[in-house]
Amino acid sequence: MTTHFVDVLAIEDAALAQVTNREDMTRWRRRVVRELMRPQSRYATALRRVPDSAAGRDFLVTWQGLLTAAVERVLSSENPPEVRSAAGRRHHDRRAADELAVLILAALHGGGLLSRVADDPAPLEAALDIALAPLTTPSARRGSCPADERPGGNMNR
Amino acid sequence: MTLTDSHSGRRLTARGAKTRARIVASAAELMYVKGVAATTVDDVLAATGSSKSQFYHHFKSREALVRAVVDHVGQTVLARERESLGNVSTLRGLRRWRDALVQSNALRHGAYGCALGALASEVSDHDDLARKALSQLFAEWRGLLADVLRRLQADGVLKSEVSVDQLATGLMGALQGGYMLAQAERDVSPMATSIDMALAHIESLSAT
Repeated sequence: MTTHFVDVLAIEDAALAQVTNREDMTRWRRRVVRELMRPQSRYATALRRVPDSAAGRDFLVTWQGLLTAAVERVLSSENPPEVRSAAGRRHHDRRAADELAVLILAALHGGGLLSRVADDPAPLEAALDIALAPLTTPSARRGSCPADERPGGNMNR
Repeated sequence: MTLTDSHSGRRLTARGAKTRARIVASAAELMYVKGVAATTVDDVLAATGSSKSQFYHHFKSREALVRAVVDHVGQTVLARERESLGNVSTLRGLRRWRDALVQSNALRHGAYGCALGALASEVSDHDDLARKALSQLFAEWRGLLADVLRRLQADGVLKSEVSVDQLATGLMGALQGGYMLAQAERDVSPMATSIDMALAHIESLSAT
């Protein structure tokens, strides 16, 4: 697997392992948006290389697995087993977590591409608003990001 | 009869315009299948039976050809989307739009992605003129989706407080991302999943 794929997966493995609730997912979102909006970042480079590379598929599958696990934890944190209703049990459906993970990945790729083309983080934020609607706090929506966390500000290159 | 080349402003004969159109269409097809970087001028000449002098009569450079391909593919995609979205005013209609895109991509096992998205992915970082043209094309496509959502809102299907422009942008992101995932996995399933999940979110914003 290429260096960028390995690097991103290592970061995501550590970062997503710490995501257990909506606030954690919101913080994860802000960090990934910052990374994707830096054209030369490992994240942006890795996503650009996915279609061209045989290792791209493995990269996506692995990242999706990490996202699925994080999504399950976030959903579980709001529907603990002892009070789980039938609807709550559906929430814990692994398939539902998988599908959300696919949508999150699609939002990162597609929203990221549109943002690169438009030179504007808005499309990426809009795509993530949809993908993360069940998983993040309302203040995570576009435009409510603290100034020092906005793309373009206070970033290490 | 003479026509004017919209890119160079030069006058073309009808025959010249046909030659130019044939070169652009052939280049678009090659770039879709092989990728932009892997498609050479010689590939295009071989596919069209054109000579180098004919090529350079119409295009100053390979970059000029790529920009013409962006324009051609963009107009083709927008014409298709105007046709399929123009009369959509229900959620069921939006699901039929989804079905058509997924089915079309399934025929190729997702192998090549969205024609416009694939171009954007390859050229946006290297050619600012092409990037701006692509930005405008995607904005028009998003506008068609926003018009559908606006009709849903006007009919009382979608809540009035929903930002249709933002929702359309998000849906476009899910669509393009779905295409890219399908391309990487040579399987249309993630494209179907991502659009379905995005449409489910839109349905969750319904007024009833």
